[in-house]
Amino acid sequence: MTKGSRFDPVLLLAVPAVLYLALIYGIPLLVLLGRSMLAGGAPSLAPFVGFFSDSFSWIVIGNTVRVAILVTLLCLVIGYPTALALARAKGLAQALILVAIILPLSVGVVVKAFAWQIVLRRDGVVSQIMTGIGLWDEPQRLLFTEAGLVIGAANVFVPFMILPIYSVLKLIDPRLGEAAATLGASPVYRFFKVALPLSLPGIVTGIAFVFSMAASMYVIPSLLIGDRFQTLATLTGRSFLFMRNEQLGSTTAVVLLVLTVAVVVASAALSKRLGGAS
Amino acid sequence: MNSGFLSVSGAAKTFGAATVLDGVDLSMGRGEFISLLGPSGCGKTTLLRIVAGLMAPDQGKVALDGEDITRRPPHRRDVSVVFQNYALFPHLSVAENVAFGLKARGAPKNEIAPTVARYLGLVQMGAFAGRSIRALSGGQQQRVAVARALAVGPKLLLLDEPFSALDRKLREAMQIDLKRILREVGTTAIFVTHDQDEALTMSDRIAVMHRGRIEQLDTPAEIYHRPATPFALGFVGLSTQLPGKVVQAADGMVEVDTEAGRLRAKANFIPGSAVLVGVRPERVAIGETKANRIEAVLADAAFQGARVQLHFAAPEGGQILAEVPALPADARPGTRLTLSWNVEDTLVYPALDLVA
Amino acid sequence: MTAIERIASFTVWLLAAATVIFLLTPLVVTVAVSFGSSAVFTLPAPSWSLRWYQALGRSRELWPAVLASVQLAAFSTAIALALGTLCAIGLLRGNFRGRDAVVTFLVSPLMLPGLVIGIAMLETFRAAGLRDVWLSLVLAHVVITLPYVIRTVYAALSLFDFTLIDAARTLGLSYPKAVLKVLVPSLAPAFLTSGMFAFLASMDNYPISIFFTDAWTKTLPIQMLQYVEESPDPTIAAISTLLILLAVAVLVVGDRLVGLRRMADL
Repeated sequence: MTKGSRFDPVLLLAVPAVLYLALIYGIPLLVLLGRSMLAGGAPSLAPFVGFFSDSFSWIVIGNTVRVAILVTLLCLVIGYPTALALARAKGLAQALILVAIILPLSVGVVVKAFAWQIVLRRDGVVSQIMTGIGLWDEPQRLLFTEAGLVIGAANVFVPFMILPIYSVLKLIDPRLGEAAATLGASPVYRFFKVALPLSLPGIVTGIAFVFSMAASMYVIPSLLIGDRFQTLATLTGRSFLFMRNEQLGSTTAVVLLVLTVAVVVASAALSKRLGGAS
Repeated sequence: MNSGFLSVSGAAKTFGAATVLDGVDLSMGRGEFISLLGPSGCGKTTLLRIVAGLMAPDQGKVALDGEDITRRPPHRRDVSVVFQNYALFPHLSVAENVAFGLKARGAPKNEIAPTVARYLGLVQMGAFAGRSIRALSGGQQQRVAVARALAVGPKLLLLDEPFSALDRKLREAMQIDLKRILREVGTTAIFVTHDQDEALTMSDRIAVMHRGRIEQLDTPAEIYHRPATPFALGFVGLSTQLPGKVVQAADGMVEVDTEAGRLRAKANFIPGSAVLVGVRPERVAIGETKANRIEAVLADAAFQGARVQLHFAAPEGGQILAEVPALPADARPGTRLTLSWNVEDTLVYPALDLVA
Repeated sequence: MTAIERIASFTVWLLAAATVIFLLTPLVVTVAVSFGSSAVFTLPAPSWSLRWYQALGRSRELWPAVLASVQLAAFSTAIALALGTLCAIGLLRGNFRGRDAVVTFLVSPLMLPGLVIGIAMLETFRAAGLRDVWLSLVLAHVVITLPYVIRTVYAALSLFDFTLIDAARTLGLSYPKAVLKVLVPSLAPAFLTSGMFAFLASMDNYPISIFFTDAWTKTLPIQMLQYVEESPDPTIAAISTLLILLAVAVLVVGDRLVGLRRMADL
């Protein structure tokens, strides 16, 4: 590495941004981590011990993980077929699917959560449709229920499942499918043995994105389920903004940080091991 | 040879306004090796995809081994393809790639491993069975692709320009290897290529394709010595070509006036017809030894080892070439030489403009 | 196609169609409510009216928030485009070990919980004695917008063939001119899309902004959430409709400039 170790002046271009993020973002996160392991000025894990020995904490962690898993599953179930259709669609159908993904992406989360408040009410659209087709005997309220929260959150996050899967699917050489066909593989066999395994890196990335976003969401639960249902993110926000209990807030923030970092790191490693389609 | 093992009749395909295949007929026997030879855009790959079932013809029929397979999907055709970029599955190992078709067809578990080993051995890739596809060179990927296509025991093997990504030396070695392998397995094969040397070396017969049609389907020797059309003359091998006009015709003989001189040939044309006269360069001698003679000014001489290729200044719309064992001692660019060849070696076609 | 294949293909398209409807539902509902006469969001609306748009016109809270958010987003996106593009070029051209780790760090704000980042910055700003609301907001929002620019421009640059610049120079262009004529046009789409998404991300940010706003300076999402929680009426749907319209306009411009498919590369 004699050549590589020589300093290249073009690297200087990167310095302002790297320095900026290190100062404004990296160091504060490290300080947060460090301070969460202090109690009364001395290094101590007491805040965490206290947090994890409280049964309410486990309810909150359970809520966070359960909702995040349900949202991720729902996104995967509806997102994979959509990515598949998008990769195969042409012309108008392709444009329609793309617009349906990108347009909501550019509309704020407060707007969408507010709309779901209306849709999920007892006299909302979902209730009207379900009673209309006879699946429900009487109108029901989904707003302020976990099911409503999962539906609304999946709506906001499903583009982040579709796009990584689509970007992998569209890179798969169509001749691989043709090769499999000429070797005697039926379309269903081709899907499970060629397309699906080759799109796994996209699936892993999508799952990591959606899970970490669903575990961290704050606005959506505020509007769709309310205060009685707490997750790590809502508890963190409330500790700082309303309860003025910054010790608790720091602790939950660090737990949430560790949870999402773990998911992102694990998925990056898995995705790298699975390799790309190209 | 039962010549109806594969028969394509009246296959036509258009993409928008472009006619890619214009009613192609092709019939080949079991165990035969046929090349589809033509420039890009001639329809050869489209014909191959129609035979493989990867594309449906607008019109026409495809029959294999006595069965009409025109509407049958590719996975029920018993037709394997070696793709131009090999199309190996990147998520599978070498052995898993070769086993893919066997598993897809539900071959008994205990037969898969020995079959894979046998075909990997056949292409001399046995030592690479556990390797990842990404770790292979182009030539090695090529061998795995051939093994994968053959392992399912297809009725027909299609090869779509499989050597185009390899360098010249490797390509020539692979050509000989593939010929040996196919002989050992006894597979019927169609080979798509734009490389005339490749087609001449490997094929039992060559189908010369041009503008969505097969212009000539014949043995390599026949195509070289008796090209049926001016396109076949020009695309396969080198040739002298001189445009001219028929001035006399009698008893199956014509006399043609060209700018280089008057030439005689065995052909039937009405006097006054515009024609193209052709002759292969190795048939052309320096000096007045043969019946058809022209004079031409030497433009360039290219030394090619055993022979010397001579290029002469030619009238518009033509070219004059000769291949001789050695250059006359006093010849240099600008020297005027007399060239001659036999009447029997002289080919005459309707002028290109009339064909187009 | 066998029956199973037909069913499988049908199911894929059915689910895709359902997802498209699902994705567009909140937007359609918002627009419908904003034009309805009902104050309690009844759908279908008893009759159509523009009263919520009139109410929006009179609103004393929402417009200052719109202005604040647009200024903040424009300012932080401009800074991010400048810093981020230089950074992407520097990182890509200056090949060094550990580059992947640095890139991961630079785009990590996109993947970590906004609330946690917000709290961390809040504590540090406080410790540093920073009290100015605007400065805090801009500093914080650049952390949101910068990763978008770095990620997209870096990806576009890694596909760029730098021998093209050498080719342009051998054809008689000076180095700056070669960069201007060859590199800039091929980076323009990435520059535009990343700027667009960075702008929208800043406009939409709640979990970081919430720690730096006060009673006098509120960004739009914060003002809107407060409005929805305190006095929900379809005025909020009216302003949401305007925001959707803005998103449609951005999308149309984006499609014209770079194409929808490339925007989906994000």
